[in-house]
Amino acid sequence: MFELPVTTIEGPELFVLEFGDIVNYFTVYTAVLFTFALLFTILVIISRPERQVDFAFGGDAFYTKDITPGQFRFQRFMALACGMATLGAMMSGDVFNFTLFTSMVGITNIGIVAAYRNRHVLNAAFQYGIVAMIATVPLFGSAAIILATTGTLSMWALFGPAIAVPLVAKIFLVLGVMGEGMAPFYVAKAEITRAPGAPYVLMIHVSSLLLFLRVVEIVISM
Amino acid sequence: MFDYLIFGTFVGLLFHGIHRKVIARIQGRPGPPIWQEILHTLKFSFKQTWIPKTASQTLFVWVVLVAIGIWSAALVVLVTRGSLLLLFGIYLLHKIVEHGMGLSSGSPYGKFGAIRSVMSAASELPLFATVGAIYLFTGSMMLTDILAWQTEHGPLLVFAFPAAVALYVVILSKMHYSPFAIIESKEIVSGNMTEHFGVWRAGLEVAFGLKTYVLLYAFVLLFLGPLPFLLVLALMLLLLLSLSFVCAFSPMLSPYDTVTVQSLTMGIVAVYIVIVGVLFA
Repeated sequence: MFELPVTTIEGPELFVLEFGDIVNYFTVYTAVLFTFALLFTILVIISRPERQVDFAFGGDAFYTKDITPGQFRFQRFMALACGMATLGAMMSGDVFNFTLFTSMVGITNIGIVAAYRNRHVLNAAFQYGIVAMIATVPLFGSAAIILATTGTLSMWALFGPAIAVPLVAKIFLVLGVMGEGMAPFYVAKAEITRAPGAPYVLMIHVSSLLLFLRVVEIVISM
Repeated sequence: MFDYLIFGTFVGLLFHGIHRKVIARIQGRPGPPIWQEILHTLKFSFKQTWIPKTASQTLFVWVVLVAIGIWSAALVVLVTRGSLLLLFGIYLLHKIVEHGMGLSSGSPYGKFGAIRSVMSAASELPLFATVGAIYLFTGSMMLTDILAWQTEHGPLLVFAFPAAVALYVVILSKMHYSPFAIIESKEIVSGNMTEHFGVWRAGLEVAFGLKTYVLLYAFVLLFLGPLPFLLVLALMLLLLLSLSFVCAFSPMLSPYDTVTVQSLTMGIVAVYIVIVGVLFA
């Protein structure tokens, strides 16, 4: 039976799922994050997109944007995949698995944006793709540094007082997550106002935020 | 626990009323009675309710329930003296509610409110700085340990004053009529809440009442330590009055000024944390 070494940060351990040396787990903190991700993944499955209203400047006219069935299916699939990857990242007890799930979140987020066939939105999706690709270097680099210096990637071992994780690895991990969870980049651009599909677009924000909350817990605990 | 939730909602809404009254009196207006927000919530509960034709219907309703859920959970964390990190997480999840509320309606006003909400994510950064500073001093994220530390050493307000200022800015960002309240600015009607009316608005009022109660309660617990409950309530009221003064005297900032001020606050507190971290190391 595993014992979570640090309980003063995220509360007591609730559940452990062991796959050999890979140990997934829930604490009070990660269980709340997991539940939140699950709620929004279910939401993606059951809800339909909004019909975004746009005004035509210089007059009283307005029009609503419709989402084609093809775009709807693709966005929903990507959002669902994003939700599954987020769920994995929330309960992962292994740094490498966490980085894998994080990079999958990055890929699916780009897919959600790129589904909308508008020149500006597609340009933005291309730029997010570049950011996400670059972010994989510090992301997987952090896992490599941790493995090389400590000999393990298990959070159960890394959270203990016996192992000191290099500061540079922690910084790389945070940088990687910031690059893959692209909500801050996405919202800083006007393209977010053009792309309809609220439940799916919201999944970008949900996944980025939950990844950030998880990496805070990991970095503080290590 | 249900009685805590009812009490928290009632006090939170009453605080909203006091907030409006104080702002009005400072600005030379009579203002509404202090129980106006409670009456608003009751009134909205019995108003005719529907969902806009352009909305993503499930999400439109879902965010209201999520808003009530997360702030109820936050109150439970405070009452049971759980993890500060969890409280921080719940506060960040509120961003999803703000964003989802605006996106779901299909309204351009709601959408702009939602985008401003995400743009002002800088308002969450000072909270992160606060959590970091408290952890450096107390060595724990659990509220029980933080309160025990204050019983032994004295209020954290003295030891970590910049962190208290950062949390104050966070609470100010979330107050109605605050200089940072760009998501509900009047040039975009009511921002992300524009299309939520009737029962949905009543639900949101309940959630926001709880939010105000939780944030003020958290500030008193985190920086003044364990105190008798009536004294805690009095201190929460004092804190609210100071926030009302700031709101009454400050104009609404532009979105980019808002982000700048909040980022600067974060920067100052980050420097403070580095100094404290080096001292502790």
